[in-house]
Amino acid sequence: MRDITVLFFSYAADRMNGRSRRYAVADGTTVETLFNEKLAPVLGDAIGQFRFSVNAAWADPSRVLADGDEVAVIPPVSGG
Amino acid sequence: MDIIRVQDRAIEMGEALEAIQDPAVGGQALFLGTVRNHFEGRPSWGLFYEAYQELAEAEMAAIAAELKAEFGVSHVVMVHRVGELALGESAVLVAVSSAHREEALKACQAGIDRIKARVPIWKKERWADGATDWHDDPDASSGETPL
Repeated sequence: MRDITVLFFSYAADRMNGRSRRYAVADGTTVETLFNEKLAPVLGDAIGQFRFSVNAAWADPSRVLADGDEVAVIPPVSGG
Repeated sequence: MDIIRVQDRAIEMGEALEAIQDPAVGGQALFLGTVRNHFEGRPSWGLFYEAYQELAEAEMAAIAAELKAEFGVSHVVMVHRVGELALGESAVLVAVSSAHREEALKACQAGIDRIKARVPIWKKERWADGATDWHDDPDASSGETPL
């Protein structure tokens, strides 16, 4: 198993009722699998609504997660 | 020199203008994004901004490098504020300097456009009627005042 921390921002944090959560996932789990299995049921939006980063660098949903990775769920940005 | 920063304190124009000074430049352009009192026709009292600071600063640095490569500007300052902002306060500053005005003006526009499109920062509107909404939230309240 791998221990993953997931960060949430904006309305995603509101829906998750928190700014970070920790998950234990199986070896070989990708960002997409993590999203679909653990996050989508609570967030209620399709994966295409979000971008992702792993360890503060942009990451593709196909990225395989390593133990200790920090994933961020990035809703559509609205700075400026 | 360049400044790339997400900060919770007020944005200072003087710091930015000082940073982009250079005897070799002949054009300086500065954009300030400020908090306005309406959005899409609905009265607003202010904005709350939050950022994924580490990734936001990395993306702003990437944009600054693009502006230098594409427009040949010499210095780039990008500062974005987070936290509670009142009407009229500055939320974002982009300042660039280059040998000539055309490159400075184009790079400044591209800089703010790319920040708005790419940098992981989010704003929450504090509506005058007391409601709050994150921008781009699919479940955000409509522009109609609740009964």
